[in-house]
Amino acid sequence: MAAPRSCGLWRYCCRGWSRAAGDCRLPGFHRSWPGATPSARLLSQEKRAAETHFGFETVSEEEKGGKVYQVFESVARKYDVMNDMMSLGIHRAWKDLLIRKMHPLPGTQLLDVAGGTGDIAFRFLSYVQAQHQRKQRRQLRTQQNLSWEEIAKKYQNEEDPLGGSLVTVCDINREMLKVGKQKALDQGHTAGLAWVLGDAEELPFDDNQFDVYTIAFGIRNVTHIDRALQEAHRVLKPGGRFLCLEFSQVNDPLISRLYDLYSFQVIPVIGEVIAGDWKSYQYLVESIRKFPNQEEFKEMIEDAGFQKVTFENLTTGIVAIHSGFKL
Amino acid sequence: MLSATCRRLVPALRGPRTPSAVAGRYLLAPGVRSFADQSDRAEEPRTFHPALLRFLVCPLSKKPLRYEASTNELINEELGIAYPIIDGIPNMIPQAARTIRQNKKQEEVEQH
Repeated sequence: MAAPRSCGLWRYCCRGWSRAAGDCRLPGFHRSWPGATPSARLLSQEKRAAETHFGFETVSEEEKGGKVYQVFESVARKYDVMNDMMSLGIHRAWKDLLIRKMHPLPGTQLLDVAGGTGDIAFRFLSYVQAQHQRKQRRQLRTQQNLSWEEIAKKYQNEEDPLGGSLVTVCDINREMLKVGKQKALDQGHTAGLAWVLGDAEELPFDDNQFDVYTIAFGIRNVTHIDRALQEAHRVLKPGGRFLCLEFSQVNDPLISRLYDLYSFQVIPVIGEVIAGDWKSYQYLVESIRKFPNQEEFKEMIEDAGFQKVTFENLTTGIVAIHSGFKL
Repeated sequence: MLSATCRRLVPALRGPRTPSAVAGRYLLAPGVRSFADQSDRAEEPRTFHPALLRFLVCPLSKKPLRYEASTNELINEELGIAYPIIDGIPNMIPQAARTIRQNKKQEEVEQH
């Protein structure tokens, strides 16, 4: 009896908390109120039913989280197949571009939020490994006249092929994480990977911990985007980089028309045929249209405290990579 | 005869010294040793990545957490809540956390 009640209480507390914080728009809100107890948070709860959008539907903020969870729970198993089908495999190129833009060196600490299926994480690990090998090769070339002792020593010291890099994958959806963990086993990625179930709006990480924060095709599903951006800013080290890959607005009128036709007429059909789930894919398409355009999103990132914010359109703006620094 | 005993000894010595690569990684970390033994046998490591303890905090108070090996939970003493670790993934959603009662009497009162 006590357990469900306390559960409900927690839900009540945090919703009020995140809403209050969102309204305040203070970057260091948590810090400015360190002694906040659950009871204090209860007081901050407002009786206002804030509304947000779930695709083209208008729902209360409380509802949105649950609905998004259902969508991704439902699509998790077919996520990769569907991504390939819907984007004709282009999503792989977009993700590769994100990593190339990041250009992580061995030792980079990455937080990949909403990265349940590990697409960014595995690419990151492969890239870092390749960088490390290249570095070793370069070192060898400069040391041509090694004594046999030095050569033997080189073989004895088994170096970490990642140079201390760690990618932490944080996703709110258990099903997506399950799929990702299984994929990691299948692809043989064991080192340098950590999985955490967590909320982008309330990250369970200490301040100033990561060199890079990525969120790929995830931020439009977050209820309070401003809150997620503030959290990204908090967990990044000074000098750390925020990188976001997300669907954006197509500017070319002709391509926009074709894209709309494809999105609304074809994608839900593919969703129904492949995954047996029309509604989830209709939501995905609608949520893309509801997401702020390149310039608006750039401003939101700046509002969260990031500097040198830029964006780059990929495939005529179907997706965009936004980048910002915590300086 | 000496060589025969040596031959018998070698695999016995090698056995525990060369666990799988995955388990080896966890063995380096203090505090999770008992779980590393289990993960040696299991195909998938049951425990979470030890490096997480360095920067994982309570999402509500943003304070460090204590790992409790007996219950496999991450505990926030101040707020009295415990975050479960399921299949090696710490569940850091406050709604999923368990509240711990410091006072047993209080618990009895609530149950009745």
